[in-house]
Amino acid sequence: MTPLLEIDNLRVTFDTRHGMVTALDSVSLHLNAGETLGVVGESGCGKSITALSVMGLIPQPPGRIAGGSIRLNGEDLVGAEPARLRSLRGSDVAMIFQEPMTSLNPVLRCGDQIAEAVMLHQNVDSARASRLAVELLDRVGIPAPAQRARDYPHQLSGGMRQRVMIAMAVSCRPKVLVADEPTTALDVTVQAQIFDLLNEIQRDVGAAILLITHDMGAISEMADRVAVMYAGRVVEQGKADDVLDHAEHPYTRGLIDCIPALGRRDDTLREIPGVVPPLHLLGDGCAFASRCAHADRRCLAQKPVLTKWRHHPVACHAVEEGRI
Amino acid sequence: MKQPTAETAPAAAGDPATAQRVESPAREAWRMFSRNVPALLGVFLLALVLLATLYGKLFYGGDPFEIVWAPYEPPLTTPSVPLGTDYLGRDIVAGLLTGGAPTLTVGASAALITMVIGISLGSLAGYYGGWVDNLLMRITEFFQVLPALLFAMVLVTLFSPSLWTIAIAIGVVSWPQTARLTRAEFLRIKELEYVTAARAIGARNRRIIWKVILPNAAPPLIVSATLTIGVAVLFEAGLSFLGLGDPNVMSWGLMIGANRDYMLDAWWPVTFPGLAIFVTVFAVSLIGDGLNDALNPKLRGR
Amino acid sequence: MTALLDVRDLSVRFAMPRPSLFAPRPHLEAVRQVSFTLERGEALGIVGESGSGKTTTAMAAIRLVNAAGGQVLFDGEDLLGLDEKAMRARRRDIQLIFQDPYSSLDPRARVADIVREPMDLMQIGTPAERRRRVGELFELVGLRPDQMNLFPHQFSGGQRQRISIARALATHPRLVVCDEPVSALDVAIQAQILNLLARLKAELGLSYLFISHDLGVVWHVCDHVAVMYLGQIVESGPRDALFETPQHPYTQALLAAAPSLARRKSRGYVRPVKVSGDPAGPIGQRTGCPFAGRCPRVRDLCRDTAPALTRQGPTDVACHFPGPPD
Repeated sequence: MTPLLEIDNLRVTFDTRHGMVTALDSVSLHLNAGETLGVVGESGCGKSITALSVMGLIPQPPGRIAGGSIRLNGEDLVGAEPARLRSLRGSDVAMIFQEPMTSLNPVLRCGDQIAEAVMLHQNVDSARASRLAVELLDRVGIPAPAQRARDYPHQLSGGMRQRVMIAMAVSCRPKVLVADEPTTALDVTVQAQIFDLLNEIQRDVGAAILLITHDMGAISEMADRVAVMYAGRVVEQGKADDVLDHAEHPYTRGLIDCIPALGRRDDTLREIPGVVPPLHLLGDGCAFASRCAHADRRCLAQKPVLTKWRHHPVACHAVEEGRI
Repeated sequence: MKQPTAETAPAAAGDPATAQRVESPAREAWRMFSRNVPALLGVFLLALVLLATLYGKLFYGGDPFEIVWAPYEPPLTTPSVPLGTDYLGRDIVAGLLTGGAPTLTVGASAALITMVIGISLGSLAGYYGGWVDNLLMRITEFFQVLPALLFAMVLVTLFSPSLWTIAIAIGVVSWPQTARLTRAEFLRIKELEYVTAARAIGARNRRIIWKVILPNAAPPLIVSATLTIGVAVLFEAGLSFLGLGDPNVMSWGLMIGANRDYMLDAWWPVTFPGLAIFVTVFAVSLIGDGLNDALNPKLRGR
Repeated sequence: MTALLDVRDLSVRFAMPRPSLFAPRPHLEAVRQVSFTLERGEALGIVGESGSGKTTTAMAAIRLVNAAGGQVLFDGEDLLGLDEKAMRARRRDIQLIFQDPYSSLDPRARVADIVREPMDLMQIGTPAERRRRVGELFELVGLRPDQMNLFPHQFSGGQRQRISIARALATHPRLVVCDEPVSALDVAIQAQILNLLARLKAELGLSYLFISHDLGVVWHVCDHVAVMYLGQIVESGPRDALFETPQHPYTQALLAAAPSLARRKSRGYVRPVKVSGDPAGPIGQRTGCPFAGRCPRVRDLCRDTAPALTRQGPTDVACHFPGPPD
């Protein structure tokens, strides 16, 4: 079976004042129909750039897709006509943003915004689109949807706004839903509601979800498979359970062990020392080497390649050599 | 939406390993400014104007009020009056070199007065809020709705035209903008946590206003001050043109004002002082824009 | 011996704009009669969602926000009764760590000056002693001495938070209020700062009033925990009791909502307690329990009568029908 979305060897560069930096390097991911792929990492690891690449929203310049391909149903999105990308955006791939307040238009009523999205991609009149908008609001669990459709975004709470965003995103039954940190701006009880809603919608609509998050807990509750990114590369990839229970890469282990989990009785948390290195200072070796307890001379000199090891693919010399 | 470049920016800006160079925000601003070609052109032009105004007389003597030649002598015809003479036969070059000082002095003093009044009232209003803010903002609005030129004209006619009354008149009519800008900056900055941090370590209001908020509010104020100089120069020229300048002091505005009736017969007596004013204001605007780019952190890194 | 901090019936109200010219001015009851105590050398966590009043409570307790009523006994002395001068002198015992490492440091000051400033203001020691103390503080929080002359923007988020901690410790405070000190940081950096805070607490005998929305963080740092909802404490108690046998339905809902590695999509998890909707706004009069609108266990009594915070088993609970989830 060919995957619904296949990112192959993607390389994205940015022009910055430090010269050209590589924001994504040899990124290969795939997403099957109806499943959720979680992409996890700290800020600066390239997970948002990955999401934007899939949407065809990398600002060019300063960004540039320097190599590789992104195939949706076999059609390559890299190098596709802007008009073609526009027609795919919203209908086949849709995005849910992190900040629902700034990603909704403040001067349009919520119902009208959804109706507009519907009319852009479907051949329906405005009355029918408005009715669809109310149905969608009902579908995402907004009480009194007909009244809320007439509200402006600022009249709704953060959770309700994110539901409106989701309603808009699923309005055209997209095949791929890109969710970029969809709950970071929300309270924890509301976050739980949004997670449950996304899982429910996936069951109903059958959409595949590309979930971008920094939170391993979110991965555990939402993802079927997971890709761990660091400094623009995928360092570990596999089934969510597999990666969570048998993390191989020292970075993945660190990410899991540094969570102050409820009930954990250790006095000190495991730390990952240092910070993500700036992209313009990446050398030839493994980008994680400066923070890694297992790094040796080879790690500093040569970039490890993602290769299948014991359970799933990992990019780490130490794992490969059996030193961990 | 998250700016895609934001993922790369913080790492680039805050890398601890390479941050050995001690670069203060002011220094960084200077580095930005010194790479800005239009701004440097502005500095060059303004320097030229200032040098000519300050030292021009040493090389080119002559009383600008003295009648030295026949009236309406066109430029580039007589070596002793290179840019010609005006309707009375006075030397235009002498006028240009002498007339800059009063114009620039009035411009700079008016800008200074504007900043002092505007920053004082704006910072008090923004910091204390409540009734202080209400009262000060109503006063500001009162001055803002006055027709500035008319009001300045009234002030100047009431208190006999001298450089000082003109500067004060311009300052009094143009401070409200600065006050509003200062207030807006104070309202924004006083909510930031480092201000709360200063309160938490027991700093008094006066210290917070002067040492914490004002330096951080300075960038837009510096830009605004620069642009105010340009506006004040134009204002002075306008008043002089209307015959409200100090008639005993030669200024660019006065030159234009005195010769305006004969403009159709002789273009040069008004054009050269006009050009001088244009170059000055243009240079100041370029510097202001350059400062804006250099001091505005949002534009950094481009 | 008295507790280090004993807050009694603290209330905070914010005046809102009048809806019309002659209408009475409405008030936002941000904090309603909140009481808690913090013992020496312990950490009290206040958890809650946005709008719960947790930050306002802490700020009012240390007089950075004006309280409308109540008492704040610090070492037996009522802070709310002190005059300006006495309060300024008291500030050396009470310090603050902020949430946002990017806005809590003055961008125009060198970090050594930022750390020294509290000592300058309170005139502690000679200039030479202050400089030496800055060096000690840098070492204490894990910064290098050669970084002292840098500016805040040259540091990463985690390092800025270390600077913020060094500044807070400069005057040897006894109480440190931590307002979401790690929520703006990446997880890996979070762990560094949490470990640092735990070490400082043990080494220096500090007491923390720790504000957070993250239950895991509170679990890790705090000895006692109070859960706030719409300006009131709905449950408080020792950490283990509160997290392991929560009695209030809101506490249970919070615990069920916190993302956890134990809940796996593959195993089709079901949340034990679900609440719907968002918290209502804190404006206006309210009768009954603040959580009544979202509570799965709500009955008529809850809408009419507000429950008082009373000891029920291992924790103090403000609920008419406390107990384990159904």
